Amino acid sequence: MDFRFDVIFNYLPLLLQGMKLTFQLTIIAVAIGTVIGLFISLCRIAFFKPVAWLAKAYVDFFRGTPLLVQIFLIHFGFPQLFGMRSFPAYLSGTIALSLNSGAYIAEIFRGGIQSIHKGQMEAARSLGMSYAQAMFYVILPQAFKRSIPPLGNEFIAMLKDSSLVSVIALQELMMSGRIMQGRSFRPFETWVTVAMLYLVMTLTISQFVSYLERVFGKDDHGE
Amino acid sequence: MITVNNLVKFFGNLEVLRGISCQIAAQEVVVVIGPSGSGKSTFLRCLNQLEKATSGEIIIDGITVTDPKININAVRQEVGMVFQRFNLFPHMTALENVALAPMKVRRQSRREAQELALALLERVGLQDKTHQYPEKLSGGQQQRVAIARSLAMRPKVILFDEPTSALDPEMVGEVLEVIKSLAREGMTMVVVSHEMGFAREVGDRVLFMDEGLIVEEGNPEQLFNNPQNQRTRSFLSKIL
Repeated sequence: MDFRFDVIFNYLPLLLQGMKLTFQLTIIAVAIGTVIGLFISLCRIAFFKPVAWLAKAYVDFFRGTPLLVQIFLIHFGFPQLFGMRSFPAYLSGTIALSLNSGAYIAEIFRGGIQSIHKGQMEAARSLGMSYAQAMFYVILPQAFKRSIPPLGNEFIAMLKDSSLVSVIALQELMMSGRIMQGRSFRPFETWVTVAMLYLVMTLTISQFVSYLERVFGKDDHGE
Repeated sequence: MITVNNLVKFFGNLEVLRGISCQIAAQEVVVVIGPSGSGKSTFLRCLNQLEKATSGEIIIDGITVTDPKININAVRQEVGMVFQRFNLFPHMTALENVALAPMKVRRQSRREAQELALALLERVGLQDKTHQYPEKLSGGQQQRVAIARSLAMRPKVILFDEPTSALDPEMVGEVLEVIKSLAREGMTMVVVSHEMGFAREVGDRVLFMDEGLIVEEGNPEQLFNNPQNQRTRSFLSKIL
């Protein structure tokens, strides 16, 4: 029974390198996912039904199939159509995580938009605003505020799920752990450390989200 | 100012309005009364097409608003609406609530819109609440902000949908006072209300609605003191 701190110390730069990529992938995925999610959520509540159905199909697909399958489909599946073996791992990983995140965020925004009392839309429209103006100036700011807590959860979930892109050899934190284990033959030290590093990131994010809730929550009285 | 011809509105299979026709002149104050479920709110909401009419015709200031080809946003700029539940925008201060539509719809500059908003808030007696968020205001104050917000578009008509029904009794007076002052200045108004005293005092005409029809209309004295229709009599006996 020994616990080799020196092994951890030796491999820490490798892990921190991986941690950096994990964080980067997550931020990019959630940022692109937010844009996709906003667009898809607006499509889902569109008056023109075919648009709403397409948006629902998108959400159903990305929420109803394993992320691992989506990663393989994008990394190995689609390149075949272009006569390639695979796309660059970083590109595939980013696309897969972003598309997946977009589906979850779309549902978060849709919930937020639909939670706003319909009197808000009516008041805005009765002043002569177009649907788009009412959405942009009146509904979305309120809906976004209500979406912050679930967005925080999505951020944390995405950070953990990003470990799946290690299967296409992207050297994020999970992959770095596998490298460290293989070289050091110290799996216990390796995975305890990797777990701690994930924990540091997820706790940091939840702190940041509660800060945002305090900043944005001050003038929300519901209804 | 407003002409309504044979307005019919269905919600699914339910016929809420069963053929309403009436004329409202410029500067006239028309009070609509009637039991709940009689269709008076639906009638009001059809006037600015928040509810689409199933059939019939509504003409406001020469524009047929029931025509699907007209730009409804342009019409709504001329037709203000004040709601029972105020519907202020909770993420904006009183001043921002009032200034939003002039900026975004009328394309006024921020400064211009805020000066207008300030003047209107002063007019409804809220010059010291300009930077408060709605949640910090009482119901009566919120409703006065809502009236200022609709005035900011300089409408030709204002529709009031039970503007005092959600208020505590002690706040009804301050809101009615503002509405009365608008009447004195010659604003054309259609008011759905249960405030009979108000109807008598400022109403030029009262419409009594029941089961989707205008059953009786007349000036307030005549309608309240000498109702002709049996249903009008029975309704008035319950509320007066």
